[in-house]
Amino acid sequence: MKRSEKAPGKSKASKAAPTGNKSGKSAAIEPPSRFYGSPLPGVKPEELSGTLVVIEGTDGSGRSTQISLLTEWLESEGFAVQTMGLRRSYLVGEDIDGLLAENTVTRMTLALMYSTDFFDQLERRILPALRSGLIVLADRYIFTLIARAAVRGIGRDYLHGIYETSLRPDLTFWLNVRPEVAFDREFKKSQTISYWESGRDMSLSNDLFQSFIRYQSMIKREFEYLSKRHGFIEMDGESSVADVNRILRKRIASHLGIRSTHYRPSHALSHLWR
Amino acid sequence: MGTTTAEMILTRETIKAAESPVKREYPGALVVVEGIDGSGKSTQLYLLKRWLEIGGYRIHFTEWNSSPLVKSATRRGKQRRLLTPTTFSLLHAADFADRCERQIMPLLHGGYLVLADRYIYTAFARDAARGCSPHWLRNLYSFAPTPDITFYFRAPLDVAVNRIVAGRPKLKYYEAGMDLGISLDRAESFRIFQDRILNNYDAMVESDNFVLMDGTVRVNKLQKLMRQIVGERISLQQFAPKKR
Repeated sequence: MKRSEKAPGKSKASKAAPTGNKSGKSAAIEPPSRFYGSPLPGVKPEELSGTLVVIEGTDGSGRSTQISLLTEWLESEGFAVQTMGLRRSYLVGEDIDGLLAENTVTRMTLALMYSTDFFDQLERRILPALRSGLIVLADRYIFTLIARAAVRGIGRDYLHGIYETSLRPDLTFWLNVRPEVAFDREFKKSQTISYWESGRDMSLSNDLFQSFIRYQSMIKREFEYLSKRHGFIEMDGESSVADVNRILRKRIASHLGIRSTHYRPSHALSHLWR
Repeated sequence: MGTTTAEMILTRETIKAAESPVKREYPGALVVVEGIDGSGKSTQLYLLKRWLEIGGYRIHFTEWNSSPLVKSATRRGKQRRLLTPTTFSLLHAADFADRCERQIMPLLHGGYLVLADRYIYTAFARDAARGCSPHWLRNLYSFAPTPDITFYFRAPLDVAVNRIVAGRPKLKYYEAGMDLGISLDRAESFRIFQDRILNNYDAMVESDNFVLMDGTVRVNKLQKLMRQIVGERISLQQFAPKKR
């Protein structure tokens, strides 16, 4: 029985069992599943040759900036990139916007609408991209959805159960910033603080600043728990854009087997490089 | 990096905890009808509702898939055939959650007798027939209150299918389970899909305490039986009009 050839450039020790057993994998130690539980109906995990990189963090943590920069860097290295984010599904993205504007939606309904939005993107955009070998950069993932619902009293196990059929990211970065810093950045950007980002549906405080800080602190505690449970790579989101980006590139490069991590943003993105 | 530890895996054991049924802590009651299309359940629930309405009882009638909340998304998804088993299921769960949180739960707490034409068992039977994991579905709907009575109207497949096909000019795409690619013939696909759903319902009779109703019995006779069971199992007194 021959061992399968290791893919060149991958330093990771192969955990996979010898591939002689064609009929089933049950006898040997299986490699870590790409899904948390049973995969989505009709999905073959072995077909997914791409890489899923998740950037998590609250509003004002610099996620979008980093994703723009990483996209440019990866494309310059010759990798095709697909992105995903919250409320971007064709199926219900706009419906959720409508629900949020009305403020009449209840917590369970909102949580399930977000999960519909997530799975629509996962099944119709992300999985096809991963089948084609693309790099998917996710601007938030199931973790934000779990954290937001959990602070509103929906059971963590219930939430993990819903997302049990989702794909396990190859890398999950958490850009951690203090709520006060997130407040400053958000306020500077839009001159106001959003109803939902300050958790005003939870009646925490009539003062918008207090409400924002308390809500974001609760979210942060959920993230600390999730970080341990799911092995996040925690990063200081308060460092400079260039510093955060350098570390992100280093980790992603080593995962993908890219030798050089040198990068300077193009003129179009140079305004982000501060 | 790239390694997996035991605690990173969402284990089945941790999810099980979420499945404990919702505790009954309300004065209302919930009566549910279930069964495949054409089993006669809606007719029977309608007659039960009329009986209670005429008697002046405090009741509320609710249907599966009736909230305006997800209507546009469902329409968009169905027209363009974008729904997968998972998103189909989640969209209906979101819709049900809206009804549950804004109608069913407040009414149960307010002391109403709530009548539901289809309930979570529809999702268990139908979405599992589409390929969703039964375990995943049970967790998804674990926030729903357990009914006081679940009537399961059972008619042989041929009887039910003929009732539907005769009364409908064209079977809809998802209704016929065409998304599963079982058969290119809609009527044939519908039949096979309904058969799977029927089997899934049958499997729940014991585990979920269904009251089995023979859908081939004459309408008025069956209704008499239904009213009798409701009268025995629920103290209707508490829903009766208040005497002044």
